[in-house]
Amino acid sequence: MDIHVDFTPMVDMNMLLISFFMLCTTMIKSQTLNITLPSNDKNIEQKDLAKAAESEAITLILTSEYNENGGVTDNTIYYFFGKPYLEDNDGDGLIDIPEDPSMGVLHAQKFVGDAEGTQQGIRAILHDRNVSVLEKIDSLKKVWRKPGSTMTEAEFEAQAKKVRNDSTISRPVVVIKATPEASWESVISALDEMQINQITRYQINEINAVDSAMILDFKNKQKLNR
Amino acid sequence: MGKVKMKRKSTRIDMTAMSDVTVLLLTFFMLTSTFLSKEPATVITPSSVSEIKVPMTNVATILVSPQGKVFVGVTGEADPEVAEGRWASDSIRRDIFLKAIDSYENYTGKKVAFASEMDKKQAIEQFAKMNMFGVPFDRIPEFFKLKSDDQEHWLSGKDLGKGALTNVKPQDVGIPLTDIRYTDPEGNVATTNEFQIWMRSIYNSGNDNLQEAMRKGEGIAVKADQSTRYDVVHDVLDNLQTIKYNRFTVMTALKTNED
Repeated sequence: MDIHVDFTPMVDMNMLLISFFMLCTTMIKSQTLNITLPSNDKNIEQKDLAKAAESEAITLILTSEYNENGGVTDNTIYYFFGKPYLEDNDGDGLIDIPEDPSMGVLHAQKFVGDAEGTQQGIRAILHDRNVSVLEKIDSLKKVWRKPGSTMTEAEFEAQAKKVRNDSTISRPVVVIKATPEASWESVISALDEMQINQITRYQINEINAVDSAMILDFKNKQKLNR
Repeated sequence: MGKVKMKRKSTRIDMTAMSDVTVLLLTFFMLTSTFLSKEPATVITPSSVSEIKVPMTNVATILVSPQGKVFVGVTGEADPEVAEGRWASDSIRRDIFLKAIDSYENYTGKKVAFASEMDKKQAIEQFAKMNMFGVPFDRIPEFFKLKSDDQEHWLSGKDLGKGALTNVKPQDVGIPLTDIRYTDPEGNVATTNEFQIWMRSIYNSGNDNLQEAMRKGEGIAVKADQSTRYDVVHDVLDNLQTIKYNRFTVMTALKTNED
């Protein structure tokens, strides 16, 4: 006698269970970003940064705009190189253009990532500033990735770390200043840019009156140009 | 010519193989799945290129809701073999709860008044099972008297002013960051707050692995929504800095270089 069991209902039930588990699982675990902040001890001055060459300094000021539901509509980064330039000699109520227009003048940029393999937005600016380190790491990576290379990942990491912290190469010092209304997303994006561009010297700071004055001036100039 | 005989074919398909496959798939999903633990506030974390995974064990999670409410949660050792289970989540949570209440009473001189020893025991047991907690100390006895549904409503700040929860005000949701003034042993006036008390209690939970992880920074995970204003998160980070937990991690989602 031929015994035949119909498995169709069994398959039906299994399919249901599978779809349940597939929909309920979270396959992607969240990632983390390591942060080390300086001590809050007010007695320790941040001498290291004050010593950094002025030409290497970049200040990023993060601002965000929200819609009425509290969602972020726009993250803008204002940035300037070196010391802020605040002179107004012609008395028009706007900050003048300094003799060296590349230093101390506020610009605006956005987080846009890469397009067609080249850096865009703020990433391009940071990339240009740290280009000597990035080039060295790139050539190191080529050696590591070459077929038949004996370099291990740990060795590569150790050498890359050495390059990142090499004080003989000109490396930028980035001060990230988040305004109170800056979104958490923009703060993380800024920290992320540091990782992407292999910048090791950066710090998070609070915005001061000079920075707000410069942003106000920037907006006034924009209004005039419109 | 003979008539061509049409052979009748049965339409019945053997489902055994299919069943085998589905059972295999089912086992795979059942074993790999980790369910999202319930959190008082839904947050969408910002994305970063960092590929470091969130540790599943020995981590103190700080959740900052978009409204700026702070919740803390702690997970201990998953393996019950380690330290005979004394470092597991529920047993360290019991210690943390008692330690935190103790140190709150020491700092403020106020009592966290449970109606009876029985109530206190129940509160400890309930706390041991909570993933995320955020209620001011002086409301703790009241909070643990509630049914678990009502507790969830309290934490998520929903349905305030309805039914049994009429007396829950927005400031009763989350761990307050307001200053507590106290006089330290040398006679100086200093300040602390309830969040700092919780973090210190977690650090001193008696789980050495957790303590080590927190010292290295990987044991403290800050989770905040991407549209939260920086000043809200900054309050929390500032408190962490004050108690010298300068190294910590922030939770992010994965993104590629193109975004």
